[in-house]
Amino acid sequence: MQSAAWALGAATPCCRTDMLPNPRRPWGRAEESTYILSCQGLAHQIRRDLHRAGCCSERGRRPSQYGTMIPVPFPRVILHVDMDAFFAAIEQRDEPKLRGRPVLVGGAGPRGVVAAASYEARTFGCHSAQPMAVARRMCPQAVVLPPRRQRYNEVSRQVFAILESFTPLVEPLSIDEAFLDMTGSDRSLGTPQGIATAIKRRIRDELGLTASVGIAPNKFLAKLASDLDKPDGLTVIEPDSIQSAITKLPISKMWGVGPATEQKLLSLGIRTFGDLQPWPCNVLESHFGSLGSKLHRLCRGEDDRPVITDQTIKSISQEQTFDEDRADPDQVRNVLRGQAEKVAMRLRKGDLRGRTITVKIRFGDFQTITRSATLHAPTDRTDLICAQARDLFNAWADTGFQPVRLIGVGISQFTDEAEQFNLFTQRTDDRSRRLDATTDAIRNKFGSGAVQRGVQP
Amino acid sequence: MKVLCERTALVDALNIVGSVVPTRTPTPVLRCLKLTATDGLLVLAATDLQVGIRLGVEQVDVEQPGEALIPADKMTQIVRACDDPTLTFETENHAVHIRGADSHFKVFGYDPSEFPPVPEFGDATVDCEISAGTLQRLIARTLFAAAAEHSRYAINGVLFDRRGKLLRLVATDGRRLALAKGDCLTGEGDCSCIIPSKALKLVAKLVDDPDATVRIAVEENQIRLAVGEGPDAAMLSSTLVEGAFPPFDDVIPKDQDKKVTFDTATLSSAIRRAALLTNEESKGVRLSFENDKLTLSSRAPEMGEATVEIKLDDYQGEPLEIGFNPGFITDALAVIDGGKVTIELKAPNKPGVLRTNGEFTYVIMPVNLQ
Repeated sequence: MQSAAWALGAATPCCRTDMLPNPRRPWGRAEESTYILSCQGLAHQIRRDLHRAGCCSERGRRPSQYGTMIPVPFPRVILHVDMDAFFAAIEQRDEPKLRGRPVLVGGAGPRGVVAAASYEARTFGCHSAQPMAVARRMCPQAVVLPPRRQRYNEVSRQVFAILESFTPLVEPLSIDEAFLDMTGSDRSLGTPQGIATAIKRRIRDELGLTASVGIAPNKFLAKLASDLDKPDGLTVIEPDSIQSAITKLPISKMWGVGPATEQKLLSLGIRTFGDLQPWPCNVLESHFGSLGSKLHRLCRGEDDRPVITDQTIKSISQEQTFDEDRADPDQVRNVLRGQAEKVAMRLRKGDLRGRTITVKIRFGDFQTITRSATLHAPTDRTDLICAQARDLFNAWADTGFQPVRLIGVGISQFTDEAEQFNLFTQRTDDRSRRLDATTDAIRNKFGSGAVQRGVQP
Repeated sequence: MKVLCERTALVDALNIVGSVVPTRTPTPVLRCLKLTATDGLLVLAATDLQVGIRLGVEQVDVEQPGEALIPADKMTQIVRACDDPTLTFETENHAVHIRGADSHFKVFGYDPSEFPPVPEFGDATVDCEISAGTLQRLIARTLFAAAAEHSRYAINGVLFDRRGKLLRLVATDGRRLALAKGDCLTGEGDCSCIIPSKALKLVAKLVDDPDATVRIAVEENQIRLAVGEGPDAAMLSSTLVEGAFPPFDDVIPKDQDKKVTFDTATLSSAIRRAALLTNEESKGVRLSFENDKLTLSSRAPEMGEATVEIKLDDYQGEPLEIGFNPGFITDALAVIDGGKVTIELKAPNKPGVLRTNGEFTYVIMPVNLQ
């Protein structure tokens, strides 16, 4: 076990006797549970404080206020909760006629993609991220429904409210899955299995939905575990059984291994986690760079990423797939401008300013390119973001335009930097800021179509 | 070519000439120095096709005049690494033999005629003459404020603006602007051009005697400067920055209603201390002016905060709170040679002005502290 947490040196005064032995041992191993039990109340306190302070207990960082702490092997209890066929299940719950029937949620157009497939549809080979046309061929009797994002968000909030009633340490991974750090919670809430069962019961009783839960000592294994017994599953990978649980898994299941890395690993004769284990770290690094050391640890089921509740926004983007590839650059430019406006508006709504603007272009053959530029000062202004996005697009289009399947624009590198006023553009800066504020106010009151830019900014 | 050369004089010359040589260029000859030995003089020349430099070394004994073109980095490494008082340079075809007391290097070079021409001052029409010390001071007081990157204005250089004998150099990066004034020795009519920062940095280095005279010639797209007289005069040429310099007179405020004078060293120390608790994210120092004191404060998230106070005895105007990038202020204070500096202000979102006795004006835009 590589995962580390913080425990106290023996002489530290804040070790309290009222935290001593508890007969319920989370992993059923005496020598480790002694550690956990004597420190669990404190560990809880530390995690709560770190959580409040906005930092997580990263490995190697020693929060000094806790005195002389040393990292000790300390199996964490991480839960991965994954809703089963989330969108499709919501539709089936809301419309009883759909229950027991194959349901596909996703765009019905020629380029529609399956966002969720009910388990009845999955038996026909349908799955999410599949082109809708393919899914319909496999299962012609399926009911195809357009996604109702707002409804799903609403239910998602209810799911997260349930999760957060168990622990504040919830890391949302997407709309329908999350990691929970339940380390040391056994005293108050019972065994990890008990907690997982309780979570599943509340989701079923209160929301009429099912979830699959994986329990393991780290995030990577917890996510693997939740996937092993879907739907409505509960899988535990205990520290002792890591090796047997992962050794036969195909390497494509490994976090960070996409099709390219998979091909490379296969060409080295590595098909499973077990195949990868004998490879020394430095050899893997020579083949895969920094990914090498990750592979080295992951293939042993080692992963020390903390559960991070503080999900600060790192980027804001908009993108759109066209029904048919667009061969007219001006049409694409218009869409791009609208996207840049939306991105700028969302920035201002979130009180953020970003520096790096990225334009994403995908062609008919799915080849995708991105072009980005960094401004010398962070901005949330529509005119600057539109202009930069347009320049990036033009720089590409001028050197060889090809029909575009998808266009998108995003902004990242947010900072709280104090805004520096400019010498020569102060008047136009002021005017542009007032324009943004006014259009935002109009759109908030009368809707996003209420006001449009008449000319290219 | 065969030349006996005093090594230390050569090291000094290579330090200056070498800084013109481009480090990345697809053209190998541009990575070279051209050596020209004539009667009692070895001239080192380098160019990156934008800036060209010629520097004469007099501490030589020319046995046989001639030319050579050899890689600048190898020549500099050899001359620096040797500890002989003198070195001999002798050409053999395109190679150069460098000999010390106990060492011999053969460095492969190129045909000297392949080197692009590096302009001489020659008989160019002199636009003005200025004392080297004055020019050096004007450069020091402006160059730091020039923009490093391009923008829609031509501000990645310094504006050279002469009206009769009055020379003004102006530099800005769009957020602050430095203007320094000085008198030329000779000069008639008006002249205005934008000189690249790299060239001006070299001019400042070329001056070793502040009393020397610098001759300046401005042609359509090129400026030439000669420091000193005679055959060993150092000579710099540079293409000019094309485009329009922004309307700088318009952004120098004329109606500031708050004014205070500081001892330069006191203000500089206070700003530097207050800046200790700023970081990349929060580059602003807050300046709160009241009738009898200035309070400088800063705050960096997750780091802490700082307060520094300065007593004021001549503050005129209403109290004011304004934020500045501390670096912008200390940059300017560093080039004022001691003494007093006046700060003029108007409002938290309007520029501040630093002035010293009419020769130096510095405009800074504030940061938004909200």
